[in-house]
Amino acid sequence: MAHMIEPAPILVSGLRKVFRQVATGQDIVAIDRLDIRFEPHEIIAIVGQTGCGKSTFFDLMIGLQSPTAGSISVGGKTPYGNFDDFRGRIATVFQQDRLLPWRSALDNARLPLELLGLSEDDQKKRALVWLERLRLQNFAGAYPHELSGGMRQRIAIARAFVVQPQILLADEAFGHLDEVTARELRETFVAMARETGATAILITHQLEEAIAVGDRIIVFGKAASVLADIRVANWPSSEHAALRDAIQVTLHGNETHPRLKAI
Amino acid sequence: MSHEEGRYSVLGGAFPRETIVSIVLFFIAWELLSLAAPWLGIPPFAVPSLFRIAQSFTKITPIDVLVTLLRVLGALVVSFILGVMIAIGMYLSGSLERYLRPLIRILMAVPVVSWILFAVLWFRGVEFRILFVLVVVCAPVFVVDTLDSMRDVSRELRDMMRSFRPTSFQFFRKLMLPAILPGIFTSWKIALSLAIRVVTIAELVGAVTGIGHQLSVAQELFSVADVFAWTLVLVVLLFLLEGIIVRVEGRMLRWRT
Repeated sequence: MAHMIEPAPILVSGLRKVFRQVATGQDIVAIDRLDIRFEPHEIIAIVGQTGCGKSTFFDLMIGLQSPTAGSISVGGKTPYGNFDDFRGRIATVFQQDRLLPWRSALDNARLPLELLGLSEDDQKKRALVWLERLRLQNFAGAYPHELSGGMRQRIAIARAFVVQPQILLADEAFGHLDEVTARELRETFVAMARETGATAILITHQLEEAIAVGDRIIVFGKAASVLADIRVANWPSSEHAALRDAIQVTLHGNETHPRLKAI
Repeated sequence: MSHEEGRYSVLGGAFPRETIVSIVLFFIAWELLSLAAPWLGIPPFAVPSLFRIAQSFTKITPIDVLVTLLRVLGALVVSFILGVMIAIGMYLSGSLERYLRPLIRILMAVPVVSWILFAVLWFRGVEFRILFVLVVVCAPVFVVDTLDSMRDVSRELRDMMRSFRPTSFQFFRKLMLPAILPGIFTSWKIALSLAIRVVTIAELVGAVTGIGHQLSVAQELFSVADVFAWTLVLVVLLFLLEGIIVRVEGRMLRWRT
């Protein structure tokens, strides 16, 4: 939905998430005291190695889990504690399209609007606008199994944008697509995020994607410790290869590369 | 599952040539056996001719067919509502599931004859006895199938849905219900064939109408032709009802084709 109020920054303070392993009874610290702030309209890429707590952070951001300690606050409200207050304000694109197989492309795309209680006409009109943006207008009546992986992910993106959310979350949303489709979709995603003014947080393990997309790149170390918080604008495009190498070294050593500290 | 789907697609669509040929061959074999019965030492009433069976068909009373049909449909509707409600309760409450699952397994293990005896001993009304037996046999099918279908809804889809913050009703209506619909159709087919078989046994005890009662009369009269005719009616009834379910399923699950 077009939001009338100015979106607030996302404040993450002292965030901690501990899981208990059922088999061993041991505690696993997925996130250990994370402090970070995301400004409205920013596009942030979070990179990190497998098991660094990216996905746990993603689940906490959506509000599907509550933290063990600390908080994520948006305008004084938390996505998990004030779950319903974020209806229509947060939207998510997952790694897999997660479309409902019994619904057509159009019906999948309009699902969030249905949940908001808009009239069917309105739902269809709005969903079609986004399907057109994603060049799927000719496939509105197709079922997911009739479409390619890239097309299905486009529908998932349309489903996220259709509510024009304040916060857009994407978890490895382009990772499973071929390079050409992924690049094209990534560019469309960023362009649409900028148009709608959403704060977009993309979780990825692909450094090229992070550099191409993000205003900021957050590099997560073990237990979601922030190894680097990079303003991509500070790196001219001629330096992007060096930036990529520096992030790579940081990720492998779990220690901030000197060049990332310097800028 | 694939075996079952294959079976129902055969029944739901036009009869393939093989089906017609096998039925015709069966009738030819039956007629030959009927003709040869005196030489084989088989009493003539045991293998009546097709003509004699056809004569029995003229004695089929539609009211008995209708009564059995209504008993089956009524019991299936009650079983379905009860089964789905119990399944939802078990899905929502882990402790309820832990308490009820063993009971349901026990219910499913009890032979139909035992249920009929219990019904005769516990209840006076014939209709209620039949309803009780059918529901106690069919409702667990709906419970188990619905619960399993609900559990099969992937965590990925549930998380996706929850991320859009639906109300509990919307969550059920937009995700769970369509997701469990294939399982519900399967349980209807299983429960229907169970109900058709059980209703005749239940009608044998005390009922004065229905196909089961007519089978009992035919048995008292040593009329194999009548038994044959009523049994065929029952089989045709089952196929017709299955055909209706398959048609509705095809319409509602168009997206699977």
